[in-house]
Amino acid sequence: MHSVFETLRKMAKSFGWIVLSSTLILSISCTKKKVSDTDDTIYEIVEQNVKGMDPVYTSDVYTSKAVSQIYETLLEYHHLKRPLVLQPLLAVEMPAASEDGLTHTFKIKPGARFQDDPAFPNGKGREVTATDFIYSWKRLADPANRSDGFWIFDGRIKGLNEWRAAMEKGKANYDTPIEGLVAKDDKTLVVKLTKPYFQLYYVLAHNYSAVVPREAVEKYGKEFLNHPVGTGPYQLENWVRGSKIVMKANPTWHGQTYPTDGDPGDEEKGLLKDAGKALPFAKKLVFYEVTEDQPRWLKFMKGEVDLSTIPKDNFDSAITNGATSAELAKKGIQLLVIKEPDVTYTAFNMADKSIAENINLRRAMSLAIDTDTMIKKFYNGRAISAQSPIPPDVDAYDPDYKNPYKGFDVGKAKEFMKKAGYKEGEGPTIEYSTVSNSTSRQMAEYIQQSMAAIGVKLKVLSTDWPQFMNKIREKKAQVWGVAWLADYPDAENFLQLLYGKNISPGPNGANYVNPEYDSLYEKAALLPPGKERTEIYHKMRDILIKDSPWIPGVHRLGYYLHYSWLHNFKRHSIISNYHKYLRVNPKARAEMKVKL
Amino acid sequence: MLKYALRRILYMIPILFGVTVITFLLFNVAAGNPAAMALGNHASAERIAQLERELGLDKPLIYQYFDFVKQVLTFDFGRSWSTKQTISSMILSGVGASLSLTVPSFFITLLITVSISLLLTQFRGSVIDKSVIVVCLAALSISSLVYILFFQYMFGYKVALFPINGWDPSWVGRWEYLTLPIIIFVVIQVGSNMLYYRTIFLDEIFQDYVRTAKAKGLSQKVILFKHVLRNAMVPIITLIVIQMPFLILGSLLLESFFGIPGVGGLVVRAINSSDFPVVKAMTVISSILYMIFQLLSDLLYAVVDPKIQLK
Repeated sequence: MHSVFETLRKMAKSFGWIVLSSTLILSISCTKKKVSDTDDTIYEIVEQNVKGMDPVYTSDVYTSKAVSQIYETLLEYHHLKRPLVLQPLLAVEMPAASEDGLTHTFKIKPGARFQDDPAFPNGKGREVTATDFIYSWKRLADPANRSDGFWIFDGRIKGLNEWRAAMEKGKANYDTPIEGLVAKDDKTLVVKLTKPYFQLYYVLAHNYSAVVPREAVEKYGKEFLNHPVGTGPYQLENWVRGSKIVMKANPTWHGQTYPTDGDPGDEEKGLLKDAGKALPFAKKLVFYEVTEDQPRWLKFMKGEVDLSTIPKDNFDSAITNGATSAELAKKGIQLLVIKEPDVTYTAFNMADKSIAENINLRRAMSLAIDTDTMIKKFYNGRAISAQSPIPPDVDAYDPDYKNPYKGFDVGKAKEFMKKAGYKEGEGPTIEYSTVSNSTSRQMAEYIQQSMAAIGVKLKVLSTDWPQFMNKIREKKAQVWGVAWLADYPDAENFLQLLYGKNISPGPNGANYVNPEYDSLYEKAALLPPGKERTEIYHKMRDILIKDSPWIPGVHRLGYYLHYSWLHNFKRHSIISNYHKYLRVNPKARAEMKVKL
Repeated sequence: MLKYALRRILYMIPILFGVTVITFLLFNVAAGNPAAMALGNHASAERIAQLERELGLDKPLIYQYFDFVKQVLTFDFGRSWSTKQTISSMILSGVGASLSLTVPSFFITLLITVSISLLLTQFRGSVIDKSVIVVCLAALSISSLVYILFFQYMFGYKVALFPINGWDPSWVGRWEYLTLPIIIFVVIQVGSNMLYYRTIFLDEIFQDYVRTAKAKGLSQKVILFKHVLRNAMVPIITLIVIQMPFLILGSLLLESFFGIPGVGGLVVRAINSSDFPVVKAMTVISSILYMIFQLLSDLLYAVVDPKIQLK
């Protein structure tokens, strides 16, 4: 027995060492860091990993956020004005358009330079020229780059598609001229279109069209996306992929000042206090890549980041009666609610005869869905019922418009089922495709219950996102739910989702084809924004609602939180380069962080 | 032993062939059109067809399969569709982070569980033994996600002993961020490992050789460390070797919650963004690792137990 205790004693001794060393590690790691009262860095979280920093690969909002700090476009959106208003960024002024709307001339801002980089002679960045834009847009069109952003120019610029085809066959290179892209001189870019394209200015504010220097692309080759060289207010200092992106102010930035005007009420909210001051305010930006909700929320609640959205599970504790809860208010957290330019919808596959030929069935199904309950159950009340595909704050959105087939009415839905030729409780069996995450499945089950009330047997099929998209592209899905977020603030971006020439595998997954709708779409495409175009958009909306290839779901509301030490925060989902306007009060942050 | 090892390596060839065939069929046949997925929502039929040509997806399947085998043999899996980085560089940069988390966790767990289990053999059937079993069973039945959520909330946020989430690429700085995930990793593993080792040691402690050793008057220490531990090495090595490939593959949830840029997170991101080349590469690499460690375990059996002869 003695030897057992001896062994135990020795083991305990070894454990002692383990405990001691663990304590040492703990004490090293637990040393509290001092909060700096001079650090004006903006800390933010990106909710998905940033894929790379090359403008031609900016299909997601997270990558766009990082790219738009470093790269710039000819135009951008005004920081404060809503609905969105375009303004020049690398252009001196808004472009001059020819009378037929086919030629657009851009004057490039003198003094706009690429940031210093070893790619340039002596490492000194040079001025941006019109040729740089032509090169950058050719990169977007180059099939070798496999950019998913070519759609912004596809079939729009004279000679660009032909150049793309020639590149694929190896019969062209970047020096091959394109009729529709001409550098009149170093600072004058002329864009010639194949037909009027009134969304051109919007897409010229999209990150896809940002300017890149040829020298850097050629020096870094495929690694260019890890070595961004732009003209923007920030440049990359350090990037630990999947973890943290650090950017510092670009000392050779051409410069801008904070806007001097905004929307009514902006002044009262303190959003014009910095009017006319030089941008950017923050010397550094730090983006943490945090994909999980809990750490994202805890980091925000600890004051480690200045702004955040609200994870679904934390909504009830964060928001009470539409305002920040007492706990958040005590921390000085402020809430901004905006209407997102998006729409969720249930689509019918109109290539499926059993669906396409039964308009009354589609109407009945639309009337059987209780959107208000869905908003409460699945969106924490953070949405408004969509009456049509056109979301708020874009041209042709009418807040007073009421979709006659929307609004929970089981009685009316049953009448339509009767008209559709079904006896009470004996509706058809329909496959409903959804994505296999918990929220999507719960929503599908709710819709399944709603359909059961009118006798439609909904068979829910869950797959992962790629399979789900594939089913839609291959026209194999019968009915499904999905969402669309605007690329630019124009109803056209939503109405094109039902344009006959865009059917699967294009964005018109519903495979809806209506010659009248299509001809109106084509007519509207040739018109500038204005009353005539808006009227056409309304006609198109009415055709859609009558035919019901979609059940419009909701337009989501964006809830954004930020600490009171962060100033000038105004948000819109389409704008990603807002960080240059943000200003931190380092002293206020240091004082508050001690209490958090 | 050398002959045995060589023969086992030769056996790996047909297994690897099977792995490549299954992986290829899974991703190139069953998973749908990768070109359409890579191009996103605005893709037209023409663009999809174009990308299919560029990716070689318009070639007959057998040619596509040979291209894949070539990638496996040269370990050149090309570039990620999503990040456009070379896949080998992505994996290499992730392995360091993953190993920093898993290796210390693994050895701490091993040390704790083997020591306590060995100790428990002296208290078999006692209150201490029963309590440890109950605690281990309770710990086992809790999902690892619960540990992560609780520890992160409690020690990262409430008590604020550790950072909530983050990473420092320097070898000195990273431990600040790794301490809490390592503790959680150990807590998650301890329950199952402890019960496993306890059973093994109890099996050994009642063997005839232990009784003989006692009768010979050998000390408890010598019996435990020289005889029992040595004889229990085969099942211990089995468990260790099974766990080895997973050390390199990282801990998916922990990496995700604590922002550790390791291989686990890499795989999750690749799956979420339909980045098939990365997923394909990781599937093949994990299979190869598994085969290598299986061979290693067989070789180690012979080293620790002379009774085992490799034929």
